[in-house]
Amino acid sequence: MRAIQRAGQWVFLRVEAIFNLAFGDRLNPLYYLGPITYLLMWIVVGSGLYVYAFYKTGMAEAYASVEYLTVQQWWLGGVMRSVHRYASDAMALTMVLHLARHWMFDRYRGLRWFSWVSGVAVLWLVYVAGINGYMLPWDKMAQFVVIATAEWLDWLPVFNGTLVRNFILPENLNDRLFSLLSFIHIGVPLAVMALLWIHTQRVPQAKTSPPAPIAITLLAALVVLSLIKPALSQGEANLSHAVTVLDFDWFYLPVYALLYAWGAAPVWLLVAGGTVLLVALPWLPPRRRSAPVEGFHMLVRPDNRIIGVRDGETVLDAGLREGIAFPFECRNGGCGKCKADLAYGKAGLGAYQKSALSDEERAAGKVLLCCASPESDIQIEYLPQKTLGGIPARVWTASVESMEKLSSDVMRVFLKLDGGHRLAFYAGQYINVLLDNGEKRSFSFATAPHVNDRIELQIRRIPGGRFTTHVFERMKPGDPVRFEGPLGSFFLREEGGKPIIFVAGSTGFAPVKSMVEYAFHRNMRRRMILYWGVRSRRDLYLADLPRQWEKEHPEFRFVPVLSDPTPEDAWTGRTGLVHEAILADFPDLAQYQVYACGSVNMVEAAYPAFRTRGLSQDDCFSDAFRLAPKIRTGDTELVKLGGRA
Amino acid sequence: MNVLRCLLQLVLYVPLMALVGTLSSKPAFTHVPPEQALVRLSVVHAAQRKVECRTRTQEELAKLSPNMRAAQDCPRERAPLVVELDIDGSLVYRRIAAPAGITKDGAASVYYRMLVPARAHQVAARLRDGPGEGFNFRKDARIELAPGGSLLIDFNAAQGGFLFRN
Ligand code: HEM
Ligand code: FES
Repeated sequence: MRAIQRAGQWVFLRVEAIFNLAFGDRLNPLYYLGPITYLLMWIVVGSGLYVYAFYKTGMAEAYASVEYLTVQQWWLGGVMRSVHRYASDAMALTMVLHLARHWMFDRYRGLRWFSWVSGVAVLWLVYVAGINGYMLPWDKMAQFVVIATAEWLDWLPVFNGTLVRNFILPENLNDRLFSLLSFIHIGVPLAVMALLWIHTQRVPQAKTSPPAPIAITLLAALVVLSLIKPALSQGEANLSHAVTVLDFDWFYLPVYALLYAWGAAPVWLLVAGGTVLLVALPWLPPRRRSAPVEGFHMLVRPDNRIIGVRDGETVLDAGLREGIAFPFECRNGGCGKCKADLAYGKAGLGAYQKSALSDEERAAGKVLLCCASPESDIQIEYLPQKTLGGIPARVWTASVESMEKLSSDVMRVFLKLDGGHRLAFYAGQYINVLLDNGEKRSFSFATAPHVNDRIELQIRRIPGGRFTTHVFERMKPGDPVRFEGPLGSFFLREEGGKPIIFVAGSTGFAPVKSMVEYAFHRNMRRRMILYWGVRSRRDLYLADLPRQWEKEHPEFRFVPVLSDPTPEDAWTGRTGLVHEAILADFPDLAQYQVYACGSVNMVEAAYPAFRTRGLSQDDCFSDAFRLAPKIRTGDTELVKLGGRA
Repeated sequence: MNVLRCLLQLVLYVPLMALVGTLSSKPAFTHVPPEQALVRLSVVHAAQRKVECRTRTQEELAKLSPNMRAAQDCPRERAPLVVELDIDGSLVYRRIAAPAGITKDGAASVYYRMLVPARAHQVAARLRDGPGEGFNFRKDARIELAPGGSLLIDFNAAQGGFLFRN
């Protein structure tokens, strides 16, 4: 089986390379087989509705009503009918190619079983709908298909030879049959659409329509084909005559040809066996697990996030699933848009076009995110093209408006953008301050997005740190500051109603302030509990603010936790590690969302503990999260939000 | 987009669309070859009871619980159908069909389809639907079958048995 797959990959890659020459790698139809199939379905539905408007559901009228379209109204009705047929045929073709590509490239196992199995159901329904369609015009083809279907089903013990009598005895045929057939012909495609929606549920950011140039060319090609070779009926059905020779649709009806070559039983065996095999394929043979059960982890820069990559997932899919704005286009190793640096670790590179990733680039440590899957914990560095929700990241110039020392080692700095600009961002995002020597330092916005006339940063002094020492010793109002932003996909999700637990460690309070103030501004009314963990009382540099929020907003609660209170603190509140305080207060976290902002160590300790209390993966947000084992790179420190030295 | 590319796109698109247009109707499929005709036999019929109803004697009735005291004892099981078809004097099909249902009290059904050369044929159909030997329904006729013609052998006991429809 591996050999067939490898051969298939070779063929697909060669043919795709030829198509790349003609279409360019961004508009190559072969990279959009799924979306094209989707589009064809819409074309089928649209043209079908038109044809149906003229269709008469009666023994006597069905044939004539379709002939009217083809003959009298050839210029529109006839074209619509032909497009309906050819789009259906093309759909069967692209669907099978789509299936074949996913199989050949081994993209149907692991998490993808869900798309695969729902795909098999779609396959069946598409065939049912297509075959059923041939029954409607009530020509000789319809006669053949109706009777053949009955003869085939009659093999089943439930029918046992009785079903066919409904279709071979003229007195048993009536208008109700045509109502039933057209009812099925509308119902089954509706079911297909519902299933398709399910089919792409688990594909992060699935494209369900191809780029416009492909769509237009395809539609035009179908119309041209319809004009050159209109779809025709084949003489009115006549039950007192046998159906002899038919123009045959080899996209939908090959099984019916087999039926008369082999007989009903072998064909049932083939179809049932084939279906069972297809459904079971994702588990055949059982996958040899190459990754730990939790999957590998990747550190993504410049986002500075750590993300779990599930077994069998590509780096691109994992990132998109977590809201990283990875650039991508074809998802099939053809365009090179998803190229990025593998800065640490090992990854399988997958099958791709040389034109998308040359051997030199490969040797230089570049990978295609859409093809690569981790073989160890990895670190990926990519160039953001756009950020979330279309808010572009760019370089800004600003100046220091004011500064205020909040504690012995935390400085609050307000920046004002030059030229009166305002910056849009999401609560929880951050900026990179650009230093003269090209280095960057990350700081979260402490202001909420609606306060966009100035930017607040809370900067902690790192002993010996170049930049933070500068901030504490030399920076003064009026100084220029260059920075890039907004960055990051750690931000407050407004959807959902679960109460939120914020876990802040030291200057991790800054992004929490941004999120909480924004939530108040938006009147979100969700319950919010802030646990702020610091060493001693003087590190609670803005404790009055959350206390005031607590007074003004009944839905908000504040719990400071000191890990190392000094005797002078005379502390009577909570002590210990901040996540342990949460564990003590919440035996069950299943109904909560957690936003964690702080050091790697804090998140690393908290995340697994929260998970054992039922916190769902999807409800845990962090700048440094899912750090289950520990990513083994020198850059772990980077993950600290609120900045490093 | 340059001309060469456009041409190349055409070179790729046209055969694909031609493939769709062609395979949607060609090659033709021969269901019944032109010099042949179709003969189908379809019978759905409830055969006689295997054992005839019997009037219960007084003693028997007395033994039954009061709510079960029906005057007649009618075992519901039906006899199997036996159907035979001869064409031009030779047996081409024979089937013994069991009645449907768990208690074997339903109708039995038979369906058979075959191709014959298109010309006149002597067609004989026989059916037995009760216990015993011999066939209690028969029909024998000479049927002219044109190329692509069809003979449907139907059965309806109320209308006297086999019906040859062509
Ligand atoms: C009407 C028919 C179908 C339509 C419109 C359709 C559409 C799509 C689309 C739009 C996607 C997401 C993007 C892509 O990978 O192309 C997709 C993914 C997928 N489809 Fe289909 N599909 C159809 C039938 C099938 C069938 C018959 C199978 C196989 C049995 C199948 C298997 C898959 C798989 C394995 C994925 C990938 C999921 C992933 O990457 O996680 N599809 N399909
Ligand atoms: S998205 Fe095109 S090569 Fe990866």
